[in-house]
Amino acid sequence: MKKILILLFCVFVVTLSASKIDINRADLNEIKLLPITEQQAEDIYEYRYYISFFKSIYDLKNIESIDQKTLNELKSLIIVSHYDDRDASAERRDEIYYLIERLGSNEGLQEGMSDVWEDFLMTPRNINKLIFSEILNFPNVSAIDVTSILKRLARKDTISNYRDLRYTPGISYYGAKNLGKYVYFKEKNSNSKYTEYDNKYYSTARKLYKRPSPIGEVSCTPYVWVGKLTDYGLINSEKRFFFDYQIKYKDSPYADDAKEMYQESMIRYGSNADSDSPTEKKQSYWGFFNMESDRAEVMNKFRFRFKNEVKAGLLFDSEKGDDFANFSFADSKYFVGYENDSNLSGRNNFKIYTGNYRATFGEGLVMENTDYYSPRKTGYGFNKRITGIIGDVSRTQEYSLKGLALDLKTDKFNAVFFLSNDDKDAVIYDSNQNGKIDDDDDMLSYITLTSRFSNEELKEAEIFFNSYSGNTNNVSIAPRLDAFNEQIIGGHFEYSPIIGTHVGFTGYEAIYDRDFVVPNGDELKELLIYDYYYYDKWKTTDNEVAAMYFTKSDTLFDRNYRRVVGFDWRTVINNTSFQGEYAEMEVRGKNLKIGDDPKALLISSYTQFDNMYLLSMYRDYDLDFDNPYQRSFAESQRYDDTVFEKLKYGLRNTLLGDIYNNSAQPSAEKGFYFEMRYQFHRMWTLTKAYLDIWERKSDARKGIRFEGKLEFKPIHQLRFKLRHKQQIKRYNDDLNRSKSQADEIELKCLTYLSNFDKIQLGYIYTRVSQPPYLSILSDPAQPDGADMAQANTLSNGDMLYVDYTHNFNKNLKIIGSFSVWYADGASFWDFEDVELDFEQTDKGFKSWFNIHSRISNNLYLSLKYKYKQFKTREIEFRDYNEIPEEGEYYFRTVERKENIIRLQLDWKF
Amino acid sequence: MKKYVILMIMFAVISSLNSYSILDRINGNAVNNLDARTLSMGSASVVGGKNLFDTLINPANLSNLESKFGFALSGKYLMNTDNRSLPMYNSFDGYSGDGTYVSNVNIFADYAFGAFYQKTLSVIDLGVAVLHHPFVNFDSDYFEQVRNNQNSDDNSYPPIIAKNFILGSGEIQATSFVMSIKVYELASFGFQFSKLTGDSELENKIIWSDEALNIIPTLENTINYSDRNFEAFSTQFGADIQILNRISMGFSYSPKIEFDVTGSIFNGVDTLGVDSTVFVYTKYDTLGIPTDSLTFADYTIPTKFRVGLNYQPRNIMRTNFNLDLEIVKWSDANPLFDDVINYYLGVEHYLKHSIPIRVGFNYTTEFCLSEHESFTFASKLVSPSFSVGTGFEMLDKFTLNFGIELTNRQYEMLDLFMDSFYDYDELWANPQYLNFEDRGWENPDTVNETFLNLQTSIIYKW
Repeated sequence: MKKILILLFCVFVVTLSASKIDINRADLNEIKLLPITEQQAEDIYEYRYYISFFKSIYDLKNIESIDQKTLNELKSLIIVSHYDDRDASAERRDEIYYLIERLGSNEGLQEGMSDVWEDFLMTPRNINKLIFSEILNFPNVSAIDVTSILKRLARKDTISNYRDLRYTPGISYYGAKNLGKYVYFKEKNSNSKYTEYDNKYYSTARKLYKRPSPIGEVSCTPYVWVGKLTDYGLINSEKRFFFDYQIKYKDSPYADDAKEMYQESMIRYGSNADSDSPTEKKQSYWGFFNMESDRAEVMNKFRFRFKNEVKAGLLFDSEKGDDFANFSFADSKYFVGYENDSNLSGRNNFKIYTGNYRATFGEGLVMENTDYYSPRKTGYGFNKRITGIIGDVSRTQEYSLKGLALDLKTDKFNAVFFLSNDDKDAVIYDSNQNGKIDDDDDMLSYITLTSRFSNEELKEAEIFFNSYSGNTNNVSIAPRLDAFNEQIIGGHFEYSPIIGTHVGFTGYEAIYDRDFVVPNGDELKELLIYDYYYYDKWKTTDNEVAAMYFTKSDTLFDRNYRRVVGFDWRTVINNTSFQGEYAEMEVRGKNLKIGDDPKALLISSYTQFDNMYLLSMYRDYDLDFDNPYQRSFAESQRYDDTVFEKLKYGLRNTLLGDIYNNSAQPSAEKGFYFEMRYQFHRMWTLTKAYLDIWERKSDARKGIRFEGKLEFKPIHQLRFKLRHKQQIKRYNDDLNRSKSQADEIELKCLTYLSNFDKIQLGYIYTRVSQPPYLSILSDPAQPDGADMAQANTLSNGDMLYVDYTHNFNKNLKIIGSFSVWYADGASFWDFEDVELDFEQTDKGFKSWFNIHSRISNNLYLSLKYKYKQFKTREIEFRDYNEIPEEGEYYFRTVERKENIIRLQLDWKF
Repeated sequence: MKKYVILMIMFAVISSLNSYSILDRINGNAVNNLDARTLSMGSASVVGGKNLFDTLINPANLSNLESKFGFALSGKYLMNTDNRSLPMYNSFDGYSGDGTYVSNVNIFADYAFGAFYQKTLSVIDLGVAVLHHPFVNFDSDYFEQVRNNQNSDDNSYPPIIAKNFILGSGEIQATSFVMSIKVYELASFGFQFSKLTGDSELENKIIWSDEALNIIPTLENTINYSDRNFEAFSTQFGADIQILNRISMGFSYSPKIEFDVTGSIFNGVDTLGVDSTVFVYTKYDTLGIPTDSLTFADYTIPTKFRVGLNYQPRNIMRTNFNLDLEIVKWSDANPLFDDVINYYLGVEHYLKHSIPIRVGFNYTTEFCLSEHESFTFASKLVSPSFSVGTGFEMLDKFTLNFGIELTNRQYEMLDLFMDSFYDYDELWANPQYLNFEDRGWENPDTVNETFLNLQTSIIYKW
């Protein structure tokens, strides 16, 4: 009898529920059966279709036409089933949206690494199966964290969830926190009841969505399990394609260095000529190519992926002045790759990539192929390197590798083999002195060009300049696109005898079909500088130019290659990791002998505690260690202070300025670097402090740089930040003849409002004391000489800024900023929303706002507008610091305005 | 009601002030969009357009108006800032930047109105509309002072020698008849027929100042004047198709329009130094033989084909995403021009209380002609724009939309009034040190133009 009663009760309940309308799945006609107006029914249907599924009956109050009375009437007639049409990937994307957005904002500095991290965010990997370097490649994870995890796993333990990970002995809070977003913990078990239910649920949900069924069926919403998706690897089990498309449009005015380079005259009448400089705009590349109207850079990037295994990418990049959408395959980048984690003979990982790829090993002394220089690239925190092989559809061009790369990693071994065959841009000069730059001539160096004019365009400009009446500067040196073929064969082998310790060997040989020849002494000056009048400006820093690598010389050797080899190592002892790399480039030494060739060394230690870390580093790079693929830690980029930077007006071809402007190699220097973070009180944190003491090899200039950032957080919503930076160059100059010092102090107040809104107000004061221009002294022995700059140049500047971030809701955010500065010769770096801006003008202001819109779960838009108005007197600085005479143009203050639009659209599914 | 009367009066008053870019004083400025919502969405509405003036982009949009009857009024206010700079040189560097020597800021307006009616017959919706709107605007305004080199040492302004003007006016107005048909709520087809009439006047003049005339009484002012009358018919076809539940696609096609042009030219006393090439273009081959020419009597609007999509995702804010691509066959207008693609993108989010926030971007390309050593060449000009806007509803039937669009472009152009025209030694101090050579393409002006376009539209629907 009892059973019958229960059965009757169940039938009653089912019947009762069946008579109600499920507003999450009823079609419009069914909704219209409710005692509401037709308009209200349509509003309910539209809300569900265009806004959101209903989480509860009370969501109906969000609809304007539904008042409280209607809601009360509907309560007893409707039910709201848990229902959602998003698949696991959509759920995941929703969950990590803010992280993807953050990665995107750092992309400029990370050259494609954010793509890799985004893939792993979307499709996490099982931490229990990963090997050392794969875990270390995740952002903000240290070798000590990885060692802690692997030591635990080696004891046959497994990590079952994030909390479990966090309690791993030795792991840091930030390491665990960051890692937790990129990994899952438990493999899906096909026999698991849980999983069966889950799979059934997903298929049911999709089916129901497509064919709304009669009311009565009960389902369960996916987001009930969303917190556990990563734990159980459900996302990873989704065997599906992922597709990402990104378009970036950016109005990008030329940087000051590049603009100066293009505007310098190519027409010279020589120091003995009676005539003045010509006054014709076409005398420079700027005028010849009508670069005034060049404005936008457009990037179109496509990426495809099947799980974490098959990956492909394609990039079309239009430079300034190109068509908006330049889908030319000739300049495109692409790759196809396969990678897989498997359990054959323990944990291992296999990768094969063809097309464009990035290769990075050790500390970047031997190989890290990117076009971009990043100062003080420690390999930690935001300066992380992804070691090994990854597909490359970043915007790099000159140093991209194209070919085939294999990467096999096991617990103890890592073997990488890579081949590349690509044409590279180079500086060519008329070495056979036949009066023209042609295929028989030698090369001076690689060059990363700001604007890649075609060879025909460059030749056309050179013909124009050469035929210019009275011009004494015959263009005998110039950049050429795809000037030589570079074939690279290289590899990396690593052995790890115990967890946290490895020794590795990296090497590559680049074979060229054309010779690099660097003339000696005065011949080099003559090659680069158009008039002997400027030969005096060749300084000791130009030793770096003279030390360029060459493949052929009259007396030493004649070869067609460049070989670089290196060793790297790491060991983790308790909470400290010690690592380093030593590399040599073969020049005159014997093949297998160590120490007889130009070399580079970097060693470092990293110690971490719960509330602090300390990084210590020593580097020493020889002047003639001219490895084009070196991207290791350095304070300055190569060719800093050389004629390529300081003497653009005296170069035979102003475009040689790009050798410095876009130099990605570090400068030859040696020195110590210390960096730390220390939270010494609940409210006080030294968020970052570093001290660098180094010596530039080319001229033995010694420099010291310190920067400290202190944060005071009395309550979570309120933060005060103080930053002080001091840099002294040639600090050991007792006579104070060439010492320069820059100080910068920033005070910032940041307040978090409700709904993640925030407002920050900041002030920066900067003070720069520059040396007199020794190089332009007519006679240092006579300080009263006409050209003598008598004293240090002192510049003061300050800047005031306010930023406001407003979140309308989780899908729409606006960031606005206003700043005003008075620089007077000093300069500021301003970290805008997604890019870095450099203010080096007299005085000015700017205002920008950026709208981040999440159009749908897989479509994102970021649209920025910036207006900048400033005055500049930069021209006066270029006339020997003399007091300008009346009427001379170069003392004029010029007001400039910039209107800049930046668009980014991401489509991901 | 009082508010609306004031608004309408405001339209009428401001519409008397008109002008656009000096660059387009010959070819005019095509008025492509007149709806504030569409403007703030980057002018992307070949599909997903919801207002009457969107039928000018695609006549099939008429079926999306979701009302039986209504009328619309739109006002457009445009501020054009035109800064011209000349290259600066010093003995050390040569070319060292540009100095702005003339700046013109003009604020102007335009307006349009129309009405529509729709009728449902079974599974078919029929719609008709009539609109009166500007099609091409020839208004332009340029003013430049020529001052001599006297008294500049005394911290006072030197006297004016002459005033240079370029005054353009006129407009081609369109009266358009639009009809559309919508079938099964899935596909709409539209057709537009327009009668285009209008005129333009262009005056280039150099007026000597009293100071100059006192020194040389024989100086005579220079006035070049032309007027043109235009007449043509135009057609446009378009369609919207819902291809998925959330995605619609659409296209519109506008064949080229060749105008019948009549007019006259009046040359003043002295045309020397005035840019008269604007009236006749000739292209030469390498031997100097004319191969093609175009006179002011020809006026052609090129063929346009526009395709776009509208995406309405599920979002916690009601959202519309529009994306248009437009192919403009500029070669119809001039054989020296290339065909180009224009890009339009816009997003609309509805915040709480149905307040929309709209943002948009577009990137359009046009051409201008220049001459160098008797050889005519075309320069491509790109104009990226950024727009935002909002709107609100009043009394259930009124919808008021606002949009602002910012456009900036920079290009090189020859000096509009050449220096040699002012080569009278008596007018200048120390004339032996002055160089009155005309600046050619070796030293062109750098022109920086900014457009701030504010648009307002009112729709009243039953």
